[in-house]
Amino acid sequence: MDGNRRWAERKGLPDNAGHRAGRAAALDVIDAARSVGVRWLTLFAFSSENWQRPGDEVEFLMRLVQHVVRRHALALHAKDIRCRFLGAADPRIPTALRRDIADLENLTRDNRGMTLTAAFGHGGRGDLVEAARSLIRSGVPADAVTEELFAAHLPLPDTPDVDLVIRTSGEHRISNFMLWQVAYAEWVFPPELWPDFGAGPFLQSLDAYSRRRRRFGARPQTTANVPTGANLV
Amino acid sequence: MSDTPRSADPFPLMRELSGELGWALAVVRAAVLQAALPQIAAALGDQSTFVTHPWRRLHNTMASVRRQLDEDPEVREREAARLNRLHARITGVGPDGAPYSGLDPEARAWVIASLFESTVAMRRNSGRRLDWAAQEQLYAEFQRMLSDLGDEPTILPAELAQFWPYYERMLSERLEHTDAVDAVLYRLLDTVPAPPLLRDQRTAWAAVRSIAGPVAARVTVASLPPTFRERVRLENPVLSDALMVGAYRGSGLAAIALPVLSNPRTLANFVDAEDDQPGSAVFGALLRGASAFTSAVRAARPQTASAPGRDPAPWPAQQFFTHVLDQTGDGTVSWPDLAALAREVAARLDLDADREADVYAAFHAWWRELAAALDTDGDGVIASQEYAAGSSNLPAPALVHLAEVLFDVTDTDHSGTISAQEYRKLLHTGFSHELATAPDKNLGKAAFTTEFLHFMAGRRPSAAWSRLTTEA
Repeated sequence: MDGNRRWAERKGLPDNAGHRAGRAAALDVIDAARSVGVRWLTLFAFSSENWQRPGDEVEFLMRLVQHVVRRHALALHAKDIRCRFLGAADPRIPTALRRDIADLENLTRDNRGMTLTAAFGHGGRGDLVEAARSLIRSGVPADAVTEELFAAHLPLPDTPDVDLVIRTSGEHRISNFMLWQVAYAEWVFPPELWPDFGAGPFLQSLDAYSRRRRRFGARPQTTANVPTGANLV
Repeated sequence: MSDTPRSADPFPLMRELSGELGWALAVVRAAVLQAALPQIAAALGDQSTFVTHPWRRLHNTMASVRRQLDEDPEVREREAARLNRLHARITGVGPDGAPYSGLDPEARAWVIASLFESTVAMRRNSGRRLDWAAQEQLYAEFQRMLSDLGDEPTILPAELAQFWPYYERMLSERLEHTDAVDAVLYRLLDTVPAPPLLRDQRTAWAAVRSIAGPVAARVTVASLPPTFRERVRLENPVLSDALMVGAYRGSGLAAIALPVLSNPRTLANFVDAEDDQPGSAVFGALLRGASAFTSAVRAARPQTASAPGRDPAPWPAQQFFTHVLDQTGDGTVSWPDLAALAREVAARLDLDADREADVYAAFHAWWRELAAALDTDGDGVIASQEYAAGSSNLPAPALVHLAEVLFDVTDTDHSGTISAQEYRKLLHTGFSHELATAPDKNLGKAAFTTEFLHFMAGRRPSAAWSRLTTEA
């Protein structure tokens, strides 16, 4: 979800207005993904590095997220969307928001229409370190550690490999996002800033992805099938 | 009033108002006010299952009021007599050493007064205020209700104009912040009890309960008279007034919650302003309520999914003790616990005095049997450890007799079998009249008593008997 601040700057608006516009875009994309049958959608809402932003901006973002969670919880539930947060255990997240997040996750836990993961305070390296710690604590002998076993120790281990990463705003970096899961991901780089990125550009990105032929390195050749994988926006 | 001819319908307005959805809120509100009267609080603390089985109790109250308002005078008289018998059994000594009785005229008048005022408040809060004439009529109907119970109606002021000073005086001089007030507000309202199985019917009641926890406590506190709030130092959380008015205006919480489940847009439009904090609070409360509700439904589901034909594992003794036997929730089992079960059976079956006495006697005989076997230290109550130690080898004659008595009173048409309808009357859940395991054919005495004995003595799970004893 890149480009909220740039978008606001270009329009001569305060940063917060950019974040608000970004929220609208996120809701738009969630609806579009659900309607075309995407099963896993991940939004990179807030990275572990974002904690270094100015205090009042962080505070505003927290309020914004809480507002979205509260306001849209029942709508998301009604759409059969399972919601969860990657990284939300961070103690810097206000207690009330953490409680709302827990309530939202609990409420939607059994939904199967689509899994929406909000990467919130997430960092890919942090997750890898977490997995390593968990492995060591479980006392697995070094020889027994396989890729599958390692993956099972990552946070939200049922998340499948990411099929498509959509990085908006013309950025071309990974930015510490789900480092393990993006190993075989396809990437698209639409030029739109996130607030301008709604259902239309999202569907174009899916279309571009569906034309690619995926090889997974040495794995057997498959043709990408649009709406199956995890999508990063 | 008393000069109304007996043949005419004496309660037209009350029946209409008690049929409104928001009346459930009024009953809860009245319950708080009643619990604040010391002698009622003492009785609630000792005798009542209000804290452990709040929804069952609330349901019984509302069912009882419905019977007291029945158009058939015979039904009304029977209910009044039943209530009087029930109240006569409630006697004891409060924590302050003062004796209490369920027949205390001041307490009974206060129950009526608080119910009347809460009904008036319900209409005020919903923006459909009762005018003075309607209030007078309603007051006369409530006075009639009190005199139907056989109480001296003069304990309430004769005229509505004097009622309000009396009410204020009660609020500012008699009421206290009792434990029972907290029990109602924080046990009844702050924890959402596991609702009965709501899969099939999303009734208004289900919805009321689904968000009762977070919203109703605040709604109730906000709706209480300010005099009372100040006296007992109940804080009214910020914004609760708006929430309260919203709840009452929406004809109760159900009206808010139901459209939400089917059409999220309605909710979005309900409080729609950019980053509005009040809206956020409402949505937060809804989210918490909905989350608690799904947890409760999830917890309830496995019971229905249990495969038939398999002999399920018995409940652990400790769990059975806490959930089934200890009806008053004080951590021990004694006569008031089993009397609560007798009361529940009698109320559900609407028994006459003789049969009710049979039920009480049978429960009491079972209590003596249990106490003789389990009360090893002779302190008059059975502790959980005492039950756990001796429960696998219990004598049963009194329990078998109890099962037979229950069969006889449930078999109202003396057909020798219990029909689905009779079974449902005894073993439905709180507000729901659905039974997961309604028998598909009439139940003979052997099958009925076996199920009861398996449950009570063998602690074998029984969906139906759990309903009577534990749920709601």
